[in-house]
Amino acid sequence: MNPRTRAFLQLPQGAESFYLEEAQRHEEILQHMRILFGQWGYLPVQTPVFDFYDIYRPFLDVHARETIYRLVDREGDLLMLRSDVTLFLAKQIGMIISHRDLPIRVWYADTILRHQDEEDISKNEFYQVGAELIGKSGSHADLEVLLLLFRSLETLKLTDYQIHIGSREVFNGCFDALDEDNKLKLLQAISLRDFEKVHTILEEEGFEDGKTAFFCRLFSSIGTLKTLVPLMQEGKKEGFLTYQTEKALQQLMDTFSILQTLGKEDLFRLDLSELGGQGYYTGIVFQAYKEGVDAAFASGGRYDNLLAHFGFSAPAVGFSIMLRKIEGFLPKEPVINQKTPIPITDSDFITAYRKAEEVRHKGGIALLGGTSHG
Amino acid sequence: MGNNPLTLALPKGRLFDQAIQYFDLHGLKISVEERKLVAHDEKGLLQIFLVKNSDLPTYVAHGIAGLGICGSDVLHESISRFFRLLELPFGTTRMCLAARADQNPQAEKHRLKVATKFPRFTRNYFHSRGIPVEIIKLNGSVELAPLLGLAPYIVDLVETGSTLKANNLKVIENLENIVVYLIANPAYYKVHYPQVDRFIELLRNSA
Repeated sequence: MNPRTRAFLQLPQGAESFYLEEAQRHEEILQHMRILFGQWGYLPVQTPVFDFYDIYRPFLDVHARETIYRLVDREGDLLMLRSDVTLFLAKQIGMIISHRDLPIRVWYADTILRHQDEEDISKNEFYQVGAELIGKSGSHADLEVLLLLFRSLETLKLTDYQIHIGSREVFNGCFDALDEDNKLKLLQAISLRDFEKVHTILEEEGFEDGKTAFFCRLFSSIGTLKTLVPLMQEGKKEGFLTYQTEKALQQLMDTFSILQTLGKEDLFRLDLSELGGQGYYTGIVFQAYKEGVDAAFASGGRYDNLLAHFGFSAPAVGFSIMLRKIEGFLPKEPVINQKTPIPITDSDFITAYRKAEEVRHKGGIALLGGTSHG
Repeated sequence: MGNNPLTLALPKGRLFDQAIQYFDLHGLKISVEERKLVAHDEKGLLQIFLVKNSDLPTYVAHGIAGLGICGSDVLHESISRFFRLLELPFGTTRMCLAARADQNPQAEKHRLKVATKFPRFTRNYFHSRGIPVEIIKLNGSVELAPLLGLAPYIVDLVETGSTLKANNLKVIENLENIVVYLIANPAYYKVHYPQVDRFIELLRNSA
């Protein structure tokens, strides 16, 4: 094939464009998010499109390293394109704020760029909208972020979804004694719900049978307080839970119980197999799923140690939504009322211009010279 | 969400008949009309898509089918991540390194040239053991490669070994036992977990 033909007909893997009505809808959705985030006291932030690779390297797993785009700048330093807004944001936050400003609330809406294999080319992971609450620890901050996620989805009129909540702290509490290698293997096995492997790892680590079986049940169960409370009682009675684990479990249940009181029980599930895709999570973690969407469309959690890596120690919690994954599921009518354009067909340009201005002045949409695409 | 049938991709080829028999044993009667690629079980529990073995992970990764029946040989070749919900009691086989019967196995240990249908598995297997490997990707009749001189070694599935023997080849090493799993798209499982868990219970219990 003529190389120019390919360049004309295709975008490079990982790139995306959208236009006209679709782009307008996208803008309207963002407009709604802008208003909502503003009402909650969140300020917008923009992150750079590329930054030095080395500073982010410790936070990129093998898969992330394979999919990011890297380039070399004029001084020979290795750069990476923005593949995860939270990560780029963490460094910016470290640079721009000091302790007396805390807590701060920020939100962002940005494209992310990473390579997608032919096999997962339609994953629609190009656009992240999210919010971060920085400088506040504890369950009230966790709840604020969970409820802001819920309100964002409600604003977009998304239906039939569920947010699964887990806790990295519970996991760490249970398996702190394991060496890093086995801890990582265990984390992956639990995330992939491969409980035969979990069983094998714990057995090899010398966990007694009862304790192994208990941990398999604890981390595989999905449900509400009705599911988790008896498990916690059993763990306490049998002495399977450390003080740290018990505290983390209690905090998770307190958080859920408040969601329940607010009448949101149906939208949330307690699911300890949720451990967060990113290595930097330290506390609560969550992902949102929807019928017909091929992967989690929103995710987030608490990351209390990430900012310290960039020279600024503060607890933080946040979420991001892969907006393009759900745009197709939002109600067809525009989120903001869109008026029908009025064509102004007068042949005299001055008359047509004046009429059009009149229409616009009254809040309408006027098209000079007729049809919208003419 | 609860009442729609679960969507399941079944591979055409070596596992298909065994899967149908296995479901039959658990009270799920599945009849597939000739040439049709979509089927149901009689209870209306499952909607079944028949897909090419090697395409199955793609269908499940995109959520077109929420569940699938798939050997670990095929899973190794996919970049997607799945929940392996249940190990199934059929279709087990071996992934082997084989060569001509008269090949001296020590001769090229430092660098292998291998023809295979499973390039990702082969690369990962040998690289994780520190052995450089040059891979030639084939789509079938891999046994021909050593005979015609394309590559001295092959990595392929070996069930009885009779095909190898008939072509004057021998197994040099068993690389991995291949197991068949019920897999799930992770997001599909999270949305449908009560229904999927009931399905797994049915498969576990009523044998």
